[in-house]
Amino acid sequence: MVSVLNNPPEVFSNLQKDQQSTAIRIAGVSVSYPVGKKHRKTILDDLSLEIEEGEFVVLLGETGCGKSTLLRIILGQELPTSGSISVAGSPVERVDARSGYVPQKYSLFPDRTVLDNLIMGPETSRYHILGRLKPGFRAFRRQVREEALKQLQHMGLQASDAGKYPHQLSGGMQQRVAIAQALMMKSRVLLMDEAFSALDPGTRRSLQRLLRSVWSELKPTVVFVTHNTAEALYLGTRLIVLARTGHSDACGSRVALDMKLPESGMSLHRNGKEFMDLVEHVESFSCGVSHETISNLGETI
Amino acid sequence: MPFHSPFDIQARPNRLFAQALSCLLFVLCVGLYLQTSAKRHHENSEDRVVPNVHQLMGGIHASVLEPAEEDDYLAPDNASKWELFRHSMIWKDTVASGNRFFISLLLLVPAVILALHIGLFPYFGAGFLRFVLFFDKIVALSLLPILFILFGIDEASKIALIVIGVAPTMILDVTQMVKAVPREQIVKAFTLDANNFDVAYRVVFRQVLPQIINSLRLNLKPMMLFLFAGEMIAASDGLAYRIAIMRRHMGMDVILPYVLWVAFLLYLIDLSLRVLNRRMHPWFQS
Repeated sequence: MVSVLNNPPEVFSNLQKDQQSTAIRIAGVSVSYPVGKKHRKTILDDLSLEIEEGEFVVLLGETGCGKSTLLRIILGQELPTSGSISVAGSPVERVDARSGYVPQKYSLFPDRTVLDNLIMGPETSRYHILGRLKPGFRAFRRQVREEALKQLQHMGLQASDAGKYPHQLSGGMQQRVAIAQALMMKSRVLLMDEAFSALDPGTRRSLQRLLRSVWSELKPTVVFVTHNTAEALYLGTRLIVLARTGHSDACGSRVALDMKLPESGMSLHRNGKEFMDLVEHVESFSCGVSHETISNLGETI
Repeated sequence: MPFHSPFDIQARPNRLFAQALSCLLFVLCVGLYLQTSAKRHHENSEDRVVPNVHQLMGGIHASVLEPAEEDDYLAPDNASKWELFRHSMIWKDTVASGNRFFISLLLLVPAVILALHIGLFPYFGAGFLRFVLFFDKIVALSLLPILFILFGIDEASKIALIVIGVAPTMILDVTQMVKAVPREQIVKAFTLDANNFDVAYRVVFRQVLPQIINSLRLNLKPMMLFLFAGEMIAASDGLAYRIAIMRRHMGMDVILPYVLWVAFLLYLIDLSLRVLNRRMHPWFQS
């Protein structure tokens, strides 16, 4: 635990900053929605973050603190009220293929088999709607199918699952396919919105292990939204806790805790006392903190 | 077998009993008809309001094996039953109505495409939705005189009536289906490098197609209703035209087989669409 907590975010990140480039830059982002005619509800309040390439960032926080909103902004699904976002150096204004996306639900296309779900990305990427008429489409499709079958096995699924429809798969299998689908695009950024929240504990753990091993192997930049602290500590190399700065509608969320975690993963036993202490410590930040607490973070740890 | 109340939601009738129950009302209707017919014929042997089986067979024979008009093609004496049927009154009327029906069906395809765009593309939604919502409230039959003035009493007015009558409802229905496609699916497709038309036709349209077919099934009867309205007012052939003509002569022996024939045709189209849907979209059934 000490080894983890003795590395304050600034120090750790400065060490590596030279070797890495910024994958996602969030600069002064605020998001607010009109509530009635006169009032606005602030979700995110002047949030700034830099996420380096290859980082596994876990966004943690209470329900309604703006984790998913931030993810949607990074994705381009929503635009911030003020501030800017850039992914891979260029601003995000709409959803595009720069980022892979794994949502909690509806992660696969129900009308396509597992294999068709996997090849859809590369297929649409190269051949748009009338592209099927072009010569070479069939050969390309054969080639991508082989790649997809390999990816499927890599994700721990059988070749016999390739012909199944999503509704014929368990929740865990569906999410495995969804991860594989995103990986087929070879996106350098992977955004996951509570992707394992609906799974049973056993399946969830096996998917966490899978995701961790995929990340170790390919080192994509991952932004993973969860409200499970233990999951966050197990998966991430960087933990960001968002918390509201007050109770009124005008108080949006800010970064309450930005903590580096060891790249090799938490060596602590998940059920051990030290791990549970750390979970408790992190959770104390998500229950609404003041700016003072944020600035005193180093001392607190 | 223990007796279950018909109001028991948790009752589990066995298959045979359920099938027998589903036939019960048909049998009752036929029985009631035969009884009424027998009673009327007992009072008046020439009664034509509720024709008996013999009269009905005569009417079916005339419809299925005889030409509609005296100057129609007359099959030779040794012609097969099929040959006779192909030049019969019911065949001629079915082809005439069928043409109008299927041309209208084809003309609904652009309506479905428009609905897809309204549901998916915000500018299309802004431009068309309010207009379609208003247009949907116009009673199509009230437009019939206008259509006759504009298009004359030929085919165009009858086809236009069907399309105008059904298309707005269909557009609104499909628009709702498109809007109900989870946003995650659309976002996901964009992250897979799909362009706008990929999303529209390869993601959303594919997902709503089985529902569109179901919506079409539900609209078969309104379509036929508008077709009948047009044919009854101005036509020289067609199923509804024949029924209207026969009404003048109180030809219930022909009207009743025609009514059942129309119901059978609609049932057949509905069944075909249902089977097609099941075969084409196995994922949708579950």
